[in-house]
Amino acid sequence: MQVPVVVKVGFFALLVMGVYTYYANSIPQIESKPPEEILLEEEKTSPEQLARIGEQIFKGKGTCEICHRIGQVGARAPDLAGVGARAAARKPGVSATTYLVESLVNPGAYVVEGFPPIMPQVDRPPIGLNRSELWAMVAFLQSLGGTVDVKLHDIPETAGVQVAGGGAPVAELKLPGDPKAGQAVFMGKGACVACHKAGAIGASPVGPDLSLIARIQTPEYIMAKILDPAGMGTVAGYPPNVMPQTLGQMLTAKEYVDLVSFLLTLRGEGETSAAISPRP
Amino acid sequence: MKRRATERQGRHPRQWPVTLICLAVLLLTATVAWAQAGPGDQAAYRSFPFIGSRLAVWGIAQLHLNFAAFILGVPIFAVIIEIIGWRNKDARYDWLAHEFVKLIFAAFSTTALLGAFLLFLFIAYYPRFWGYMTGIFYPTFWVYATLFFLETFTVYLWYYGWEWLSGPKKWIHISLGVLSNLFGTAILFISNAWVTFMVSPGGVDEAGKLTSLWGAIHNPTWMPLNIHRLLANIVFGGTIAAAYAAFRFLSAKTPEERARYDWMGYVGNFVAISALMVLPFAGYWLGREIYAFNQTMGITMMGGFMSWLWVVQAILIGVLFIGSNYYLWLGMERIPGSERYRRYIPYMIMILAAGFIVWATPRSIPLTPQEARLMGGTHHPILGVLGVMSAKNTAVNLMILTTFLSYLLYRRANKVSVRPWVRAGMATQWVIFGLAAGIVTFYGVYGYFVESIVRIGFSVYQVLAVLGAIVLVMTIDIPLFRGARSTGAIRWGTIAPRSQYVLILLAVTFTWLMGLMGFARSGIRQHWHVYGVVRDTSPEAVTPALGYAANTITIVTAVFLALVLFIFWLGGLGEKGKAEAHGRAPAIAGGSEES
Repeated sequence: MQVPVVVKVGFFALLVMGVYTYYANSIPQIESKPPEEILLEEEKTSPEQLARIGEQIFKGKGTCEICHRIGQVGARAPDLAGVGARAAARKPGVSATTYLVESLVNPGAYVVEGFPPIMPQVDRPPIGLNRSELWAMVAFLQSLGGTVDVKLHDIPETAGVQVAGGGAPVAELKLPGDPKAGQAVFMGKGACVACHKAGAIGASPVGPDLSLIARIQTPEYIMAKILDPAGMGTVAGYPPNVMPQTLGQMLTAKEYVDLVSFLLTLRGEGETSAAISPRP
Repeated sequence: MKRRATERQGRHPRQWPVTLICLAVLLLTATVAWAQAGPGDQAAYRSFPFIGSRLAVWGIAQLHLNFAAFILGVPIFAVIIEIIGWRNKDARYDWLAHEFVKLIFAAFSTTALLGAFLLFLFIAYYPRFWGYMTGIFYPTFWVYATLFFLETFTVYLWYYGWEWLSGPKKWIHISLGVLSNLFGTAILFISNAWVTFMVSPGGVDEAGKLTSLWGAIHNPTWMPLNIHRLLANIVFGGTIAAAYAAFRFLSAKTPEERARYDWMGYVGNFVAISALMVLPFAGYWLGREIYAFNQTMGITMMGGFMSWLWVVQAILIGVLFIGSNYYLWLGMERIPGSERYRRYIPYMIMILAAGFIVWATPRSIPLTPQEARLMGGTHHPILGVLGVMSAKNTAVNLMILTTFLSYLLYRRANKVSVRPWVRAGMATQWVIFGLAAGIVTFYGVYGYFVESIVRIGFSVYQVLAVLGAIVLVMTIDIPLFRGARSTGAIRWGTIAPRSQYVLILLAVTFTWLMGLMGFARSGIRQHWHVYGVVRDTSPEAVTPALGYAANTITIVTAVFLALVLFIFWLGGLGEKGKAEAHGRAPAIAGGSEES
């Protein structure tokens, strides 16, 4: 029996694509995840811990390693080995801390000779480090041959203030609810914790993790989702129609508002801070 | 004549004007609705059932782009072929141009439907992002919709008026073809403004507020992408049309039919190679503008988590170059007199293989500490030097020169020049080839010893050397072989069937490559909808790894090819039992010495 041309051609096309797909799957698989925001409290963070956090930012969210090396001269940017000691002598009359802060938030103010002025302002998008992260970054740079003595107030208050871009969250909704009482509803009467994780509370994988819900959804969505879970759709990868439809009837008005208020506190900051905050 | 025109109308789907009108109405009403909505009036994201919103948008966007590239690319060379047929009074070319337009005609409605589907997805599942984009670009939506109407009706008239506007009115018909291309190109440029704004936003302040619509349109990557996509559409259209011809060749029942589709496949492939040879230059321009816009983005693209992607891209481009050359060499077997040139083929294979290896050599790739230790550093101690742009530019330019040489040998395979200056002419051509290769190699080596900013400028000299060589060699070749003695006619239809699988290989590879480059362009934004302006805060903000992307690209490409096959089958359905359905097909067997 003669194989139809369409079958032969189809098989051949699939074979070609199969080879490409196999190869692409056989090489190192690297995802690019959105960076987490780090928030630090001054009284709870030692200089060593601060420098360590700064190193993590240097290698990750700050994307500094793309151009800078430590102990190796790069083609695009200076070697940062010993910058902690060198910083004080870079600009006459400018302290090491001030110089390092300036090099991060206003890199064009002083460019090391022999290198192009290509460094971006790291407190502005797309890198967008916040004040805590800038503080840690300076501490790390100081630790490279110098003494870590930077304080949070050395970082200008205007640094790292994110301007509200086109898709940035707009003004926050003020609800008369009590987040603490809402947490109790989440863990008790509402039984939300049976399926959802919310920061340090709960660990169930049945429903989506709500630890960042206030950052990724609007208050209107959260409110509507509690009252009409099926109508608002199901998050991809989770089974549909699991969330009870009766919360609207079961909860009192106050409990409902408290619960929403609690959910609106879930911005991932507490957990992130807790995860990286120094241990006693 | 009238009866035939009526038959043509009856054979093609009538619903697509309705689709277009629906799309336009939707586009315009959506524009108004979303422009009026406040930013806090809707959810930021909604979840598409089962597969998630990102995958839904990815799949539909890729399918839409595939079809759009096809229907925009094919008319460009269809009208050129029609002009060639008109000027040379050769009915074969007119038939071929009509065949090509027939292919896009059937794909028009699918493109519009997919565009509408994509719009639905944005409105429904990315409302805040779509609201922001609408706030910036809503005036262009009106222009886009108007151009869509104009292009639709011009193509309509171009296709249906083929016989009505023949003879002395042929120039009007050709003008319609040119006009439809102008409208199509304008549509492409407008949609490119939206896409490139997401990568390299311009015309907005730090808060993302619009300061200049023209600045948003004429953003840093707009023009490079316009040129890159215009050329890529021609390559894509050429490869798909050639694959269609290959399919018809393999299914052919008669030698005449086989000859006809052999010729059509050759022309489609010729078009694809011609545009492919200049495509890398447009790609470099685009890459350079991305670097100029944002160094971090450029470095992330080439040396960061995407660096392996370029190794895969190099493999695909290597397949395209080697496949195109192999097809030409196989084609020479059906040309009496081509034996003289076969001795050059092994050398050409060596150059192509060496160029392929150099291009596929990565410079900086993410490694584990253990892998870096094993290799003796982040770059390979010997092969690492081949991974830089100096070596890659040299490799691709030499590959382009080699491909041009293949075409030149194919072109003169059955010709013996009778010009008295034949020896001097050919010697000059070889000198030009040698000089171009020398210039390319010189700047390639010299590039290792200069600053990167100087090195970037060298690529311009390399490109000019290659393009100059192509122009000069052809300037000599055309008069050299005018009125040449023939060693025998091309035996169209006798090419080895495996050559047709090469054409299919090229079409599949280029379609897959388009998907991969789409992923690269979109992926370099990472967790931003609009880079540095509108952040992706959805749960799907992760940029996936290459394996996941490859799986998605393969599935979408398979769906696209299946749809194309189905559409072509539908198009051919009307021909069954009607020998003269599209005008009498010209006899190709035996071909022409001028071909």
